[in-house]
Amino acid sequence: MAFTDHERNEFRRLVLPHLDALHRVALHLTHRAAEAEEIVAETIFKACQNFRRLRDQNRVKQWLLRILSNTFISSRRVKQRRQETSFQEEWENETKSVATFANLSQPLFPGQDNPEQLLIQKLTDEDIENAIKSLPEEYRVAIVLCDVEGFRYREIAHILRIPIGTVRSRLSRGRLLLQKKLWYYAPDAGLLPHRKQEPREEPCTCKSEETLQGQLVAAKP
Amino acid sequence: MQVRRNTPGSISCSEALNWLFDYLDEELHGSRREEFEKHLEECRHCFSRFEFERLLKSRLRKLKVESNLSRLRERMEALLEQF
Repeated sequence: MAFTDHERNEFRRLVLPHLDALHRVALHLTHRAAEAEEIVAETIFKACQNFRRLRDQNRVKQWLLRILSNTFISSRRVKQRRQETSFQEEWENETKSVATFANLSQPLFPGQDNPEQLLIQKLTDEDIENAIKSLPEEYRVAIVLCDVEGFRYREIAHILRIPIGTVRSRLSRGRLLLQKKLWYYAPDAGLLPHRKQEPREEPCTCKSEETLQGQLVAAKP
Repeated sequence: MQVRRNTPGSISCSEALNWLFDYLDEELHGSRREEFEKHLEECRHCFSRFEFERLLKSRLRKLKVESNLSRLRERMEALLEQF
């Protein structure tokens, strides 16, 4: 059934203020202007279709971001299946290998007191965006909503309709994978030599026997 | 999971790493937050790891994208006319 004039105006009043946020999130997720525009347009279309089912007008932004996240993930579903498979293999390698931080913490360059800080400083926005772009979609959505848009865990859980524990898990795994991606930029940043590093145990300075490596293994799905 | 503690009242590195992202995202509260901060003061490894994650999150927060909304507004208006 067609919108009444009142509904059309209400839609404008409630949705238009969030168009910028929707477009920003879509751009962070896709890093392609044309794809981001299509995802937002599809989100608006679905929002029109379901506008009469909107119950809480105070949570329009969350409602719109849920539609956008689902649209983004659905649009990549076929690609994602392939990526999930390769990601599982990559995760296996990840747990056998070392994360960026562990590598940088090794005393390869004794003169560098804060190699992790140096790496972060030397990374360009493009390096970071490329690393985000390479993450599986569901992890990418969680990281963009949390780190870029600043949503709390409970808000992300509400937007994505997943338990808070799943939000934590996606953020944790996504960030560990992001570390690994950024690791490849360390040699270019002059922090590590241009050769494959053999994994080494990273001893902890305090008395616990648990290490980051242990955490990575514990986090294995 | 069995929890290993260094000294009475302090947390292990394993626990600290499990809580790291919660702390970073301001989702760790009360006594857990205090225990985590105490651990960071005492453990260089965990502090360095936390610093890396903090800096990375800060960079992510500052990422900028060019958002041109005029075309999207036009598309939204055209769409609304169909409903």
